[in-house]
Amino acid sequence: MAKARAIIKRRRAVENIRKITRTMELIATNRFKKALTRATEAAAYTRKLAELVAELGKTEQEASHPLLVARDPVARSLLLVLTSNRGLAGGYNSNVLRAATARHVEGQASGVEVKLEVAGKRGINFFRFRKLVPQETYTQFEDKPQYAEIETLADRYIKLYLTGAIDRLDVAYTEFTSISRQTAVVRTLLPATALDLETPAQAAKSAAAVKQTQVSYEFLPDAQSILEEIVPVSFKARLFKCFLDAAVSEQIARMVAMGGATKNADDLAKTLTRQYNRARQNQITRELADIVGAAAALE
Amino acid sequence: MAKPIEAEHGDKPWGAPEHPEKHIHLLVVTPEKTVLDTVVDFVAIPLYDGEAGILPGRAPLIGRLGFGELRGRVGQTVDRYFVDGGFAQVRGDSAVILTPRAIPAGELDAAAAETAIKTLESTKPTSTLESADRDRGLARARGMIRVARRKA
Repeated sequence: MAKARAIIKRRRAVENIRKITRTMELIATNRFKKALTRATEAAAYTRKLAELVAELGKTEQEASHPLLVARDPVARSLLLVLTSNRGLAGGYNSNVLRAATARHVEGQASGVEVKLEVAGKRGINFFRFRKLVPQETYTQFEDKPQYAEIETLADRYIKLYLTGAIDRLDVAYTEFTSISRQTAVVRTLLPATALDLETPAQAAKSAAAVKQTQVSYEFLPDAQSILEEIVPVSFKARLFKCFLDAAVSEQIARMVAMGGATKNADDLAKTLTRQYNRARQNQITRELADIVGAAAALE
Repeated sequence: MAKPIEAEHGDKPWGAPEHPEKHIHLLVVTPEKTVLDTVVDFVAIPLYDGEAGILPGRAPLIGRLGFGELRGRVGQTVDRYFVDGGFAQVRGDSAVILTPRAIPAGELDAAAAETAIKTLESTKPTSTLESADRDRGLARARGMIRVARRKA
């Protein structure tokens, strides 16, 4: 009976783990939906902002803002890495960290002083293991990053950039393209390359929409200064989008990872049940043989 | 304090022709969510240099916002929000407000804004950047207090 009982014990453990992973999957699904709603709401803001930029662009004004000026050579750069606080999210963290490390190594090789800032406990632990000391660490950004928090962060980066403490700001995060596609990327947010908030396809679409209805606007105070005012705003919006994307992608990664784990647990439980049945049957057969043998000996 | 614009002009703006569209579609968008998506008769927006009243049929406008009160009026009811800078776009019968924050006037905390003013006033800026920051913070807190104190 020893073997059968050991199998049952194992099966019970597997079933318990399955319960946990299944719950985690459901939680991740729920959080993912919420995060996605937030990301969609935020997209409305960036879309309107892009429309505004398109309207302003038609006035043929050149935006000149210190944030738009690229510096050459780049002596000091800052790399912000967005990871999650919790694990069990498949390859989510390792993908971001791989991309971030590649950029870090590349920067160091070309003689750029790369400062690190890490959000999320997983990333913090990773860099501690690699004996790299981040300038700043953040653990307060969970699945619902608040705009107010990101804004203070963005204001600090703007200040760092303007005072010349950094010449470039890169963000390593997981970009959310669609539910089935998230990629770990490193994006340069400062210098703000242009006022591009959208993908080219979207931009073309909104530009077409704008073109259809030619309106002559009254600008208060004037197009130039509005355009300049938009530069930091669009930078903040982009940084916020990075955090939102990371939050959505994390939940998707966890959902997929936990879905896989649940399925594995199901398969394992099934195999163990089969093994148990076989073991039990063997035992019965053996006992029967014993009884029959003993009866035969008595005759 | 300036009189509300709608009180000066009455329901109809002087000299303005009758417009087929009598309402404005007011959309207030922040990075976190769409705060307001509604139809109003009149909207007052806080531009960088003072308040601007928008009635249906206003000429297209793009403006920079200051820290102040956004009012949307439907019939006799007025919705009041504190707007934390941003941009406004008026076109045809729609007004879009893009702002980092829009707080309903009832939820403002005047006391917190006053302490913010006190702490900001006690700081000594050492660079133009810091001084600009300080001025911005002061303007923001003062705008907040102004909106919070005004009776609906």
